[in-house]
Amino acid sequence: MFRYILNRIVAMVITLFIIVSIAFMVVRLMPGSVYEMGGDLSQTVIDALNAKYHFDEPIIKQYGYFLQNIFLHWDWGTSAKMRPNVPVFEILKDRIPITLQINLISLFAALPVGMAAGILAAIRKNTIVDHLVSLMVVLFISIPSFVFAAGLQYFLGFKSGAFPIIYNVSAKGLLRWQSMFMPILALSFDPIARVARYLRAELAETMNSEFMLLAKTKGLTYAQSTIRHGLRNSMVPLMNIIIPMFANVLGGSLVVESIFSVPGMGGLMVDSINASDHMLTVAILMFYSLISLITVLIVDISYGIVDPRVRMGGEK
Amino acid sequence: MVFYENDREKYDAISKDLFRLVQKDEEIHDVEFKTKPIGFFMDVWLRFVKNKASVVAAAIILIIAFFAVFGPGMNEYRYDEQHTARINMPPKIPFIAKLGIGVFDGGFTLENRKYDNLNDTDRYPEGSVLGILNPRLVSGERIVDVEVDYYKYMGMDDDECFWFGSDYLGRDIWTRMWRGARVSLIIAIVSVCCNVVIGVIYGSISGYYGGKVDMVMMRITEIINAFPRIVIVTLFIMVAGTGMFSIIMSLVIKDWVNTARMVRSQFYRFKGREYVLAARTLGVKDMALIFRHILPNSIGPIITSSMIAIPSAIFAESFLAYIGLGLQAPEPSIGVMLSQGQKVLLHYPTQVVFPAVVISLLMISFNLFGNGLRDAFDPTLRGAE
Repeated sequence: MFRYILNRIVAMVITLFIIVSIAFMVVRLMPGSVYEMGGDLSQTVIDALNAKYHFDEPIIKQYGYFLQNIFLHWDWGTSAKMRPNVPVFEILKDRIPITLQINLISLFAALPVGMAAGILAAIRKNTIVDHLVSLMVVLFISIPSFVFAAGLQYFLGFKSGAFPIIYNVSAKGLLRWQSMFMPILALSFDPIARVARYLRAELAETMNSEFMLLAKTKGLTYAQSTIRHGLRNSMVPLMNIIIPMFANVLGGSLVVESIFSVPGMGGLMVDSINASDHMLTVAILMFYSLISLITVLIVDISYGIVDPRVRMGGEK
Repeated sequence: MVFYENDREKYDAISKDLFRLVQKDEEIHDVEFKTKPIGFFMDVWLRFVKNKASVVAAAIILIIAFFAVFGPGMNEYRYDEQHTARINMPPKIPFIAKLGIGVFDGGFTLENRKYDNLNDTDRYPEGSVLGILNPRLVSGERIVDVEVDYYKYMGMDDDECFWFGSDYLGRDIWTRMWRGARVSLIIAIVSVCCNVVIGVIYGSISGYYGGKVDMVMMRITEIINAFPRIVIVTLFIMVAGTGMFSIIMSLVIKDWVNTARMVRSQFYRFKGREYVLAARTLGVKDMALIFRHILPNSIGPIITSSMIAIPSAIFAESFLAYIGLGLQAPEPSIGVMLSQGQKVLLHYPTQVVFPAVVISLLMISFNLFGNGLRDAFDPTLRGAE
């Protein structure tokens, strides 16, 4: 088991290293220099800046400096356009908690709702409740989160005025939660639908299995057999779809955050791409890669715990 | 319950003389099948049309595709034609406006206007005021919200109208939206086709040969799969520049892996079957075995999975437009229009509504259509994921 986990972690680090290298090369080999002429910078200043950040040296050397800075000083470079001369990591440090907060809350808020809908649909299979849940699943999965976000912003925010139109940075306490409500809601539609669809299929299959018949024959009531035997068995694989869903939600939050002007990673990524602040873009992409690799790692490890065949490297 | 009649005795009663041997060249009086045999695709079609939701979805896709092809040519505007004096016009369709049901009539609410000015025909031309809302007194002035026919208010001719309104540069939204739908559909379909071609070739080679070849090829797909999609797409577009081709390529670069894996697992299912062994014994070449004998088995899953990949490609395209890596102006796409409309959402919501409705309808329809196809191709998977 320990060897398996170590194996996965090493694979993850190698992948991350490859992504860092590719991202660095892509950004540096793009035409145009970081500090453009024609702005309010004179040639002397540009030369000085280029010398300071080693932009005047060969690309291989720059790559060496880049890796050296990351590994020795945890220095991801310096922002050139968005907030000149501020280290990239400083900019990210304020942003990461907000993004993680919004994404995790929307994921965990979606869980009970999705589970309730899925369970309801499974035990009332082929009734009107089931059809309504199926309709909801199709709508929530199909309609993109930014369309939901625009709708919420217009109707809940602008027309009814129940919630602030954009995220309120300075608010504290209840007001802050109020301004976080709409981005969270917009992001949670997709996980709700996915959890509901998955649990419905899983539970409906479990309900037909032999041990459920046995449980009923033993004299358990419908509720007892469903909760103790049916539900418990269909919960096991649920974890493995929730964790990868986090990467999915994070992708949607890129756009939703910029719609609601949330000062998180999403808005920052959009701004840094538009301002072509490349060092910042590389660092943000690394953040997203790291998150998605960690989710894959957790899934791999949990599969390894549940299913010994995976970690022994047996035939699939 | 009687499953079959034991009529042995009945036949025993018939005298033996009545029987004679039939020769090979004689006509054999056998029971003919009343029904015609139906092929694989007919079978799929019969099951597909039973699913009403997916038939409706297919019809909606066809309607949107029709408008995507012919919609931009239906009125006199071009997609990049700017009317700087006619910016942010509300939608107006003449024959619906005549019905007077309050939609598509060019109506627009001007807020906080002085009541006393309403009769001034210089400001409000004849017949432009449709209704007066919310009268109130603000520091002695009578202030109202006026609902006007914006086209008359701007002093435009009756026959000049933007069916779905115009955007912040005075471009016709109807034309742009259908052109955008066309672009989005082309991006989605071309990228999915490329995925299928690459995935099928890669997956069949990997699945058919197995062993070391398979191991190396699957390792490669694992590495590609480990890269997060957002990151790979963003980086690719940053290198290749924005444009239809690079958006398509950025979607292909990772998504073919799924098709390849699916095809590979299909090959693993079928390559050990007896009929494959029989064909190989008869000396059929590898290529023929792969493409004629084994691959047709996976046609169902391939079509289904590519149908389900289309909405995710449409989504990815809009997503790129939102983060500023979409198509170059003035070329529209659904995502470009949504992200532009988002900026003026609170004042001119119609600029978001139309593209949002089209993209939602497309996504819902493709998902339902894909589900219907999956059930039709493989009824045992019904309701499963």
